[in-house]
Amino acid sequence: MSNLDHAIEVNDLTKIYGQADSGVLAVDHINFAVRQGEVFGFLGPNGAGKTTTQRMLTTLLEPTEGRIVILGHDLAREPYPVKRQMGLVPEESNVYTELTAWDNLMFTAQLYRVPRAERAERARQLLETFGLWEKRSVKVENFSKGMRRRLSIAMAIIHRPSLLFLDEPTPGLDVQSARAIRDLIRQLNAEGTTIFLTTHQIEEANQLCDRVAIINHGHIAATDTPERLKATFRRVQSVEVALEPPEGLEPSGGWGEALTALPGVTTAVKMGDKWRLYTEDPSALLPQVMDYARANKLKVISLSTLGPSLEDVFLELTGQQVGTVRHETQDDRPRRGMKGRMGGGR
Amino acid sequence: MKNGWQQRLQDELAQAWVVIVKDMKVHYLRPGMIMFGFMMPFFMFFSFSVRREMGAAQGVARLLALTTFFTAAAAGPFIIPLERRLGTYDRLLAAPMSLLTLLLGKAAVGALFAIGVSVFSLLVGVVAFGATIAQPWLLVSGVVLGSFSFSALGLIFGSIPTRNPGDVQMPSTLLRWGLLFISGTFIPLTEMAPAARAVAYLSPLTYAQDLMNHAVLGMGLLSPWLDLLVLLVSGILFMVPPVWMHRWARQLGY
Repeated sequence: MSNLDHAIEVNDLTKIYGQADSGVLAVDHINFAVRQGEVFGFLGPNGAGKTTTQRMLTTLLEPTEGRIVILGHDLAREPYPVKRQMGLVPEESNVYTELTAWDNLMFTAQLYRVPRAERAERARQLLETFGLWEKRSVKVENFSKGMRRRLSIAMAIIHRPSLLFLDEPTPGLDVQSARAIRDLIRQLNAEGTTIFLTTHQIEEANQLCDRVAIINHGHIAATDTPERLKATFRRVQSVEVALEPPEGLEPSGGWGEALTALPGVTTAVKMGDKWRLYTEDPSALLPQVMDYARANKLKVISLSTLGPSLEDVFLELTGQQVGTVRHETQDDRPRRGMKGRMGGGR
Repeated sequence: MKNGWQQRLQDELAQAWVVIVKDMKVHYLRPGMIMFGFMMPFFMFFSFSVRREMGAAQGVARLLALTTFFTAAAAGPFIIPLERRLGTYDRLLAAPMSLLTLLLGKAAVGALFAIGVSVFSLLVGVVAFGATIAQPWLLVSGVVLGSFSFSALGLIFGSIPTRNPGDVQMPSTLLRWGLLFISGTFIPLTEMAPAARAVAYLSPLTYAQDLMNHAVLGMGLLSPWLDLLVLLVSGILFMVPPVWMHRWARQLGY
């Protein structure tokens, strides 16, 4: 029985590429639901099963097992009404580069049977919204990556879908284009469109999503609001401190090891000119940091406590614990270590 | 007020037409289409026809059969893998239309290209070489049916789950050349040994050539009705494997 409040319901969804007994298990009996009108983030590292799941939800890939109900329709039995109400923005902007922006939009409008009287007006509105009106007669082969991305999104919403799938909408875009796309996602959602956002950009999910699901190795590791997920991981709270030696002395690289050795510190990570000290009890750690600074005649430039970020939660849930660079910092290779940590999450 | 079934049918036909028009704009002028679809049949024709005793009408009949065959069958293996690679095929697969509508649209893209090239060939034959057409209705129905049938044949290869047109071109070309050489295009059926003629009947091109002989020369070995029937049935049968292969591709994720 499907819940009418749910735009998407996924039950025991499984995908095995190849033979059932010897193939590659990409998605393993996952269950989740997306509520009507929410922005739902689907996060996970590369190869976790994000795109496979999204392709199954958009009818492009046949599940091995499981059931998908979208907007009250069983996708396996009634794909047609679902397809009419959904829009899809894949990871690669799949626009027709030989056509103009206008022709691309007209093609999609006709394909989705947008009434003839409304096509031109909707295309004009979208091109203006996306800042492409002046370029409407230019072939898309001359467009930048950001322009193609915006056109790709415009093509996905010209039929005014009630459910929009976005696969990694902003990577590789300049800051302005990425922000414009995020604003548009908020606007579409405010107008009632349910958004299914597949991303590995954690901060983007944090900013946009009402709820997120984190998938790892084909399993859903957690599904909740970003804030509740963060609250669950109290052990990844931290104290961030920037220290400076007295005037005339060179900065020492030995602070990291000393700070890591403070009682209660589980991990220390160098972040630029600061150190982030992970602990379960920041209030107990703060005076110890101050004592250490006083004892070593160091000036405290900044000192703050931080709750767990969604990135921390993501790293915890995907088995890449925060501060996996601990040994790197001890080897005096803090920058490489930081890079390695970030890379591990992708 | 239309009922749901009528509306759906109207929608599907309109969507097929939208796909056809888009493909015409996007693909017809691609170098691959011009090379494999337009120039290849002419190369084949001149390679096997120059310095041979052959009247203008006979040449036109042969050229028409070659253009419908080569041009129509070239589109599917070229367009679909290319669209898969560019990601634009996902847009079509995710659209609210049936797989059959999409495939019929794609078949029509190749067929219309072949019909266009055939009209060009016919004009050259009639205007430049003074060829006459014995039975115009047979010519029209033969070119149209043959083009759809051979375009559907090309779709079989286009439906192979791959994103690389090169993976498809090789087997597609091998089959087309094989069907060409066993058919009665270059060696008339009447001059073939019985065993060779039996093999020739396996190639749909044999029936297209016989139909063109009826249409242009006014004579052929088989009944023109049989030729038309074979082209119609083969066209329908050729649409079955692409449907299966698309379902297979959907399991694989292409």
